[in-house]
Amino acid sequence: MKSGENYKFSRRFFLKSAAAAVLITPFLQACKEKALSIIFRITGTNHVLGHRLRTKNFPKVSEQLKVKYLIVGGGISGLSAAREFSKRGETDFLLVELEKEVGGNSSNGENQYSKFPLGAHYLPLPNKSDTKLLQFLHEENIIQVYDSQGFPVFDEAQLTFAPSERLFYRNSWQEGLLPRIGNTPEDEAQMLRFFEQMEKFRLAKGADGKYLFDIPLVKSSIDGKTRVLDLITMAEWCNQQKFTSSLLLEYINYCCRDDFGLGIEFVSAWAGIHYFAGRKHDSTPNSADTVLTWPEGNARLAQHLKKYVKGKSLQSHLVYEITTENNGVEVKVFDALNNKSIQITAEKVMMACPQFVNQYLLPERKKLAQDFHYAPWLLATLVVTDLGDNGSYPLCWDNVIQGAKGLGYINDQQQSVQQVHAKKVITYYYSFSSDNCAKSRKELYYKNKEHWKKLVFDDLRLAHPDIESKTEEINVHLLGHGMISPVPGFIFGKAKAEAAKAIDNRIFFAHSDLAGISIFEEAFHQGIQAVNQILDASTLDT
Amino acid sequence: MGKKFLKFEYLLLFAVFTIATCGLVYELVAGTLASYLLGDSVKQFSFIIGVYLFAMGVGSYFAKFLTKNMLNTFVEIEILVGLIGGLSSVVLFLLFESVYSFQLILYLLVFITGCLVGLEIPLLMNILKDKVAFRDLVSNVFTFDYIGALLASILFPLVLVPKLGIMGTSLFFGMINISIAIVLCFSLKKELKNVYLLRFKAIGAFVTLVVVAFFSDSILSYTEGNLYGENIIYSNTTPYQRIVLTHNKSDYRLYLNNNLQFSSKDEYRYHEALVHPAMAMAKNTKNILVLGGGDGLAVREILKYPEVQKITLVDLDEGMTKLFKTNTILTGFNENALNNPKVQVLNQDAFVWAKSTQSKFDVVVIDFPDPSNYSLGKLYSLNFYNTIKSILAKDAVIVVQTTSPFFAPKSFWCINKTLAETFPQVDAYHAYVPSFGEWGFSIAINSFETTFNTVNRRAEKLRFYNYQFDQFNYFAKDMISNDVEINRLDNQILVRYFDEEWGKL
Repeated sequence: MKSGENYKFSRRFFLKSAAAAVLITPFLQACKEKALSIIFRITGTNHVLGHRLRTKNFPKVSEQLKVKYLIVGGGISGLSAAREFSKRGETDFLLVELEKEVGGNSSNGENQYSKFPLGAHYLPLPNKSDTKLLQFLHEENIIQVYDSQGFPVFDEAQLTFAPSERLFYRNSWQEGLLPRIGNTPEDEAQMLRFFEQMEKFRLAKGADGKYLFDIPLVKSSIDGKTRVLDLITMAEWCNQQKFTSSLLLEYINYCCRDDFGLGIEFVSAWAGIHYFAGRKHDSTPNSADTVLTWPEGNARLAQHLKKYVKGKSLQSHLVYEITTENNGVEVKVFDALNNKSIQITAEKVMMACPQFVNQYLLPERKKLAQDFHYAPWLLATLVVTDLGDNGSYPLCWDNVIQGAKGLGYINDQQQSVQQVHAKKVITYYYSFSSDNCAKSRKELYYKNKEHWKKLVFDDLRLAHPDIESKTEEINVHLLGHGMISPVPGFIFGKAKAEAAKAIDNRIFFAHSDLAGISIFEEAFHQGIQAVNQILDASTLDT
Repeated sequence: MGKKFLKFEYLLLFAVFTIATCGLVYELVAGTLASYLLGDSVKQFSFIIGVYLFAMGVGSYFAKFLTKNMLNTFVEIEILVGLIGGLSSVVLFLLFESVYSFQLILYLLVFITGCLVGLEIPLLMNILKDKVAFRDLVSNVFTFDYIGALLASILFPLVLVPKLGIMGTSLFFGMINISIAIVLCFSLKKELKNVYLLRFKAIGAFVTLVVVAFFSDSILSYTEGNLYGENIIYSNTTPYQRIVLTHNKSDYRLYLNNNLQFSSKDEYRYHEALVHPAMAMAKNTKNILVLGGGDGLAVREILKYPEVQKITLVDLDEGMTKLFKTNTILTGFNENALNNPKVQVLNQDAFVWAKSTQSKFDVVVIDFPDPSNYSLGKLYSLNFYNTIKSILAKDAVIVVQTTSPFFAPKSFWCINKTLAETFPQVDAYHAYVPSFGEWGFSIAINSFETTFNTVNRRAEKLRFYNYQFDQFNYFAKDMISNDVEINRLDNQILVRYFDEEWGKL
């Protein structure tokens, strides 16, 4: 309560108590230091079941089902499609999902102290022009009302709680993700120039009056002049623009890895710039970098969408064969729980799964799929008794360590209104950035748990020297195909365009990999757009 | 003979190395302590380095007068340096609060340590001069001296202070210093005279340092007592905070995390101002909620109204409410309020509890710690007040302690503005509490059914509040700040204001 006179003595007192703590702790620790064993779990996408598509050794069909529309894949695009079907009055649809739960990359785990994300974990405030997404957020009460000027008012409890970001740099934590202490004037000048340039890109429109960089990506201008940026890497572009400051480049590299899995050496410059210029920050006044987040990450959004597939989804079901017949599509599905196969006959099928899966289900897709690169990811959720933070800036939602191999960690309890937590729960993110995603993927499944434990601790130790002794539990989550990575030539390339085309007006496609970047907004729109395609085409037919 | 001599020489050179390291560490300890305790680090470090070097010069000068038993003297000096240097930080800590001329003692200690270290090198060179070529001697002695200095200056900020703390560092190096002396006592027993006495001195000094290190805990709590300037009669660290109760003449003071919570002399001013305006203007006062305020003093005031049927007190810290239910001095202050049958004490997180409770309250008294960190800042956010609004009766009144409008006007008006975003009627008022200074409150009414000047009921025998609300809600120019934002969970702007304003003091 009341502070009164005593704040002014705090420095002296601080010193004394610090000295006291330092003197006492070794004695306490000596008594306490038992051999602490860390509970270690490894989870991941069900690649074992998925890989059965390669051999296709499944039991004979023993059951038949009929449905008007079949959605294959229960990630955000599939769930969004289910929502759109429902909104348009179509109730005769079914969704099949390989995993035990729907949600895809927007899934979560939970321990006794907190929920935590197993993939995507935030949604930036949508652009003002993204009315469909704003409408969804309004439906789910994430937008509570619209103010008198027409700006949406977001629920305070679902926006990232302050303080939101910090960077560990030169042995201390500082606010924000850009290094600020001890930069050379040259660093500062380049940072300024970079952000000015990004601001220009953000506002720039093509001859057709559309933004050069927009979300969803298909809304971007078809003006050709910026498309050449898709042919070079972000690193090449930075070099052309004489961005040479290692601090700036490390920051841009961090951003690219965070959104695309791959760093500036491997992603297209168009995609790299899109990261900075795609979001217009125009849906609310003065909240440029605010994002929506939840302890369980985007699994919250998936949870909202789940109600549209209630009683209409089959989990642990793997589609293994699709054939187009005169009166519809026949889809063979393996029920992994009951070890049997069923055949679903549908009028139309929506493939809301990634193209590396489609290549095993549809003819002529293998070649197209070769151009789709998916960066593997590793997430590690740690339960720690104490972070051993050096206290230079308080724990934030996003905590990045300069010079680390991974992308830092999220405080999973950031969105809690509680005063104190008995244990802290953090989720560490690591993307495998290389020119050979397939090789990284092999490494992901080949290396043992000690290897991953070491990777995580070596990284976190940079800022938290005794993290290993403070950790009680680790849950490592492996994502073999973490996200689509927009390598040069991909976003505006042929393979992506071909893969998105419907087959015989029977089989349709929706997935964020067809947009080219793996963000919630793209998946959300993919689902809606595919439903429109199906329903409007069938209206034409009849 | 050659081999043995080599051992002799290297042993002494190793001693030089250690002396240099320890000497510099003592110097850095003194510099750090001085700049922490006295401020102005450039000045303090500069003076201390100067005095230390000068003292070494003085020491070197006097070295020429030491001609007898040089090796014994060398070992004795080594013990003395360890003892004085090692204890220096403890002594300085102990004396800081009570001694008038702290700086004199500080520089005296630096001077003595410097002198002793300054004595050692010439002394050592004299010991070795007949055994080693002068060229080698000078070069080796200084090489080890400077390497030691480098090692100390690198280790000190990077390892020693972060790992051992100031007191720990000086004690630790004192022990190292003396252990060298002990090693010398044992390995040079033939060259030394009176070797048993010397060993006794060395081991005695070492034991002294170990004992001091072991009791550093209570030494610190003794200095803590000095810090408060009052006698500590109770102290306890709960999982949430450190509770300290002090007594000085007729005044008792309670500190939470070293911030004054109340002084028994004037707390009635604070608690009457906190409770009675809201109790007077509320339409009903049957069901009352107190958040924070585990000392039960606000509850004591509320119990002065007979129509109150139920008081729910939600305070996170069980240690605190238990203390105020059981300690006889403290139950004397709150008139045993927390044991009153009308009172229900819940040791829960107020925010979490408020989100789940089904009750509706007529008056809510919010007496949380100041928003000095991001956790506490949540308890002053728009989302929190909206949560509170959902557990209010239609015409309820809520009052919030909102720090000092004089010391922290931005913080004060930021909370007020945040409340105004949630409640239809909001006002602010303040009272003078001598031990705190000018202190303020924000008050809100959940409807338009009553006004701030309404007095629906009065308690008898108040010593401070007179039920003239309009005498308390006037703010002079120096307590007003208009340019503030609303405090939300996603901006926590209040914590920034608060840090800025109290940080200035």
